[in-house]
Amino acid sequence: MQVPFQLIINMAITASSYALITLGFNLIYRNTKFFNMSHGIAMVGGYVVFFATSVLGWNIFLSIFSGIFASGIIGYWAYVLVFLPLRKRKASSMTMMIASIGVLSIVQSIVAFLFTNKFQTMPNDLLIGKTHIAGGIITNTQILIIFAPFIVLLGMTLLYKKTSFGKIAESIADNENLAKIVGINTDEFIGYIFFIGSAISGLSGISSGFSSGIEPGMGSGLFIKGIIASIIGGIGNIRGGIVGSFLLSFIENIVAWKISGEWKDIISFIMLIAVLILRPTGIINEKK
Amino acid sequence: MEYFIYLTTTIFIYAILAISLNLVAGYTGLFSMTQASFFGIGAYASAILTTRYGLPFSYSILVGILITTLVSFLVGIISNNFKNDYYMLVTLAFNAIIFGLFVNWQSVTHGSLGIYGIQKPALLGHLFPESISFLILVFIFFLPIYLISYFMVKSPFGIALRAIREDEKVAQLFGYNIKNYKLSIFIIGAIMAGIAGSLFASQVSFISPPSFALSESIFILSMIILGGLSDLNGSLLGAIFLVILPEFLSFIGFSQEVAAQMRQALYGLALVFIILYCPKGILGKYEL
Repeated sequence: MQVPFQLIINMAITASSYALITLGFNLIYRNTKFFNMSHGIAMVGGYVVFFATSVLGWNIFLSIFSGIFASGIIGYWAYVLVFLPLRKRKASSMTMMIASIGVLSIVQSIVAFLFTNKFQTMPNDLLIGKTHIAGGIITNTQILIIFAPFIVLLGMTLLYKKTSFGKIAESIADNENLAKIVGINTDEFIGYIFFIGSAISGLSGISSGFSSGIEPGMGSGLFIKGIIASIIGGIGNIRGGIVGSFLLSFIENIVAWKISGEWKDIISFIMLIAVLILRPTGIINEKK
Repeated sequence: MEYFIYLTTTIFIYAILAISLNLVAGYTGLFSMTQASFFGIGAYASAILTTRYGLPFSYSILVGILITTLVSFLVGIISNNFKNDYYMLVTLAFNAIIFGLFVNWQSVTHGSLGIYGIQKPALLGHLFPESISFLILVFIFFLPIYLISYFMVKSPFGIALRAIREDEKVAQLFGYNIKNYKLSIFIIGAIMAGIAGSLFASQVSFISPPSFALSESIFILSMIILGGLSDLNGSLLGAIFLVILPEFLSFIGFSQEVAAQMRQALYGLALVFIILYCPKGILGKYEL
């Protein structure tokens, strides 16, 4: 069976977008234990880059930095204004999830309000040039997109293994009350986690903006796939999320190739339900 | 006057939907995110049978009820295995799957082109203008649904539902078969939503998949959270509020597109503010 080269590239690009979502999502989930639907603000990153490059004429790297930063700030304020008060009230994870859907709706409508609901493409490429490998062509932008989650994973691993930040984050994930007792301001710390997680989410919005354009609803669409990938890989498991992303993207692209592109969404949601029924801890077991 | 009648009709249709979800979410604590898909199944059943096979409205609504019963039975059995946020996630996936079927099962649903020219049933001959007779018809459906729900929640059945919401284990100890209770109320809610869908299809005369997307389920959820969980008048109030407010916005001079964005922002805001500052909603008896 000859698998088209383009299919493999598409698979890797989709997987990378999902993987970026799962990285930030799992990071936040580890410390807060709720399905943060407002993680779908990914499109903010894409739109900030779009605005900064096409309207303000900024340098592309400055724009990307602002896009990531803006998403992080929005995530942080969503935490301060909505999730922190709810945490203080000891709201259930379901209540938090419903509130986060509200946050996502608000951000999404503000983006649609500012930039209209239309589908838009990024004005220029991130990197110019193409590379020839194995008889196919891949643009340099695509290569960067494929490597982005691994760069982020590397950064996160360094942050978690080498700094006290990581130790604090893991102690909160293990036992929040104990972390409080030893004097960690967990409420404040989770705010930083929200900033980092949402910034990564913004990066995924940027990367999928470069690979397939931007629209206000793309954040929630991308995010839902990210959450499916997270659950396939085991919720809260950072590396599992990446494996789940590649698996999900693989199945989606095979379905799109052999059956039809329109059925891939249905298949991914059926996968979500199947995984939740058959193996709710995800396909990868995290050693405790 | 036409406009006023149209709005009132819309409010009653959405009130049926809100009540249907309130029975499931507010009274039983099952926060289903798939209510819009049953709404859609009712609407498609009615639309297809009346436009393509020339069946009268009354038969089409019966077939719609039959299909929603079957589908909700399957969906209910599977989602009953989950609780709280996982329940929301699984029902959300079902909404996405059924939405995908509306889009992709083109031989039946015409895909995203939708179905045109759905007739309003002629009630009482031609005694009244079409819009008024349709309003009467909607009210004829609304009233028994409201009354049945009213007596149902007061009955031992309704008390059992609330017991399940408060503490499933205790309810089980008292000998209630909670699975059956949950499944029954889920199916009852789905049937009501399906009826609302049949009415909706006749009212707007054109239906397409976006009316039954996940965002619509979120819209219904914000209605009952705003109006108040576990209170039927709250559902009515929530429907009035969230139907009239966007209309009011377009009335005071916002363009149609801006008003549509604002509708989304409003229900997002309603969700966040109610959960933060008034967790019981306006009339509710159950705190999120």
